[in-house]
Amino acid sequence: MKFRAVMVDTAPMREFSNIVTTISKLSKECVLRLSDDKLYFIVSEDNSGPTPPVLWCEIPQDVFFSEYQMIGIDDEHKDIYLGVVSANLARSLATLKSAKCLKIKLTKKQCPCLTLEIEMPSSTSTQTRQVTHDIPVVVVPRKLWSEFQEPRVPQPDISIELPALKQLRTTIDRMKTMSSEVIIRASAEGRLTLQIKTNMAKVSTRFKDLRVEAFEGPIDHSDSETESQANEDMSRVCYCRVDAKKFSTFLSSEQISHNKTICSMVNKKLVILCLQTEENVMLQFFIPGIVY
Amino acid sequence: MDNGTSQYYLTASMDSGKSFCSLLKAIQFQENAVFCAMPEGLKLTVEEGKCVQASAYIPADNFTEYHVRDDVDVMFKISIAVLTECLNIFGASEESSLKMYYRSEGSPLLLVLQPQSIHNVMTDCEISTQTADSVLELKDEDASEVAKLVLKATAFGGLLADLERSCDIIELNLSPEHPNVSITTYGMQDRSCIDVPKSSDMVESFSCEKPITLKYQLPHIRLIMKALAISSKVVLRCSSNGLLLLQLKLEKEDQRQMFSEFYIVPLLDD
Repeated sequence: MKFRAVMVDTAPMREFSNIVTTISKLSKECVLRLSDDKLYFIVSEDNSGPTPPVLWCEIPQDVFFSEYQMIGIDDEHKDIYLGVVSANLARSLATLKSAKCLKIKLTKKQCPCLTLEIEMPSSTSTQTRQVTHDIPVVVVPRKLWSEFQEPRVPQPDISIELPALKQLRTTIDRMKTMSSEVIIRASAEGRLTLQIKTNMAKVSTRFKDLRVEAFEGPIDHSDSETESQANEDMSRVCYCRVDAKKFSTFLSSEQISHNKTICSMVNKKLVILCLQTEENVMLQFFIPGIVY
Repeated sequence: MDNGTSQYYLTASMDSGKSFCSLLKAIQFQENAVFCAMPEGLKLTVEEGKCVQASAYIPADNFTEYHVRDDVDVMFKISIAVLTECLNIFGASEESSLKMYYRSEGSPLLLVLQPQSIHNVMTDCEISTQTADSVLELKDEDASEVAKLVLKATAFGGLLADLERSCDIIELNLSPEHPNVSITTYGMQDRSCIDVPKSSDMVESFSCEKPITLKYQLPHIRLIMKALAISSKVVLRCSSNGLLLLQLKLEKEDQRQMFSEFYIVPLLDD
């Protein structure tokens, strides 16, 4: 097994650092999967079983790295899976925003490590400083690889482009102080509603004129307690009740500079947020619906 | 008034709910407030253990539209925490317009908020209301005013912030003689004293006929700190029965004013 890569461009370095920081907010541990053409960050919940992971992130290596070499276990198992404490990685990569160059290697010290060599510019001279971080990793054995397979999700009922994530996050953060659950509702007409209902208050924030990427309706609401909205065709509306805190954490990914975010929903069951960046990175967050 | 709201107990709108929200936050030391709409303005009142009564008062001229029925009492209890969160739903950096509706007794208070800079979004809130508890009538018409001070709010806020945190009791000595205002705090092992003569920059006006000493709970006085931070001026009034009234004025960019008021009950010598 061998892995060695070099990053020299500032934009990808900043983005890489932001991605890892976002991941560290989601979960203590993550799995870094290295393959020929892509790096993957995968966060799955403990004992998740057949449910999709929490996060699935794909990073194309050729956009980020100027050099990239890796050899897997053997010809049949070309990839490498490493378990990492995400906070460790995030802390070490925090300096990347001002760094000149990053080298990543898989090394064998007292335990397997990801060794990061970061070259930092000096503010007083033209010389540079080299900072080395050794981050302990766990090599995931082959028999467990199947737990980190690409998520297979049911066909979403609707995919709609989200408004600015920062705005969305501010609103969700206000809502989560009032309720632990928020209902997301998306319509084929490009409307998105966030709603909380408690004994004290009912608050709905409505966005309109959003781009609908796909709609696979009509939606069957026959078995649910959905209240019908006046002058709205409910068969064209999809909804899902999710944990407000979780949703807010996912929205902290707004600090990754992104092109667009698509929210896909499987009625009542699942919300998938898919964030795409300039550098062709794709982050997918999976938020299970709360069903009573 | 063609949309059937003329029979509503209250309809009101304003261009920016921001100052309203910060004023409410300044008196948000209790979960619930009594919301009272009068023809001359809106008043929200909270009480702390029958010792402190704080109100936020928004004169009607702050609203672009303001109607309240004068043949009924428009008064109810509402969660002030929920109200401020709702007013702030688009974040502190966003100015949003606000519309308020209250149909009749027992109806929820309806709010419609729309940010000024983003056009494809709006929020509507239904906040449940309850029958109002009676509000303490602290003002005693028989007690006369014995001292009145007008102070600059920021400077007075700085002075309060300087007081020792661990102290429980604050003593206010007012006198026509120098040093006019003397504030003493008593802690476990110490006593500290701040003198403010009426010539101080902080003091805009001072009137006091004869010396008076009053004691208050310092945590009670501290409740006005948030209101001081957003206000420009504070008026202190002491009445002969020891009741302290602090009136704070918040001046908005559009020259309109909002007020907060704190009644604080004195500590009596035992």
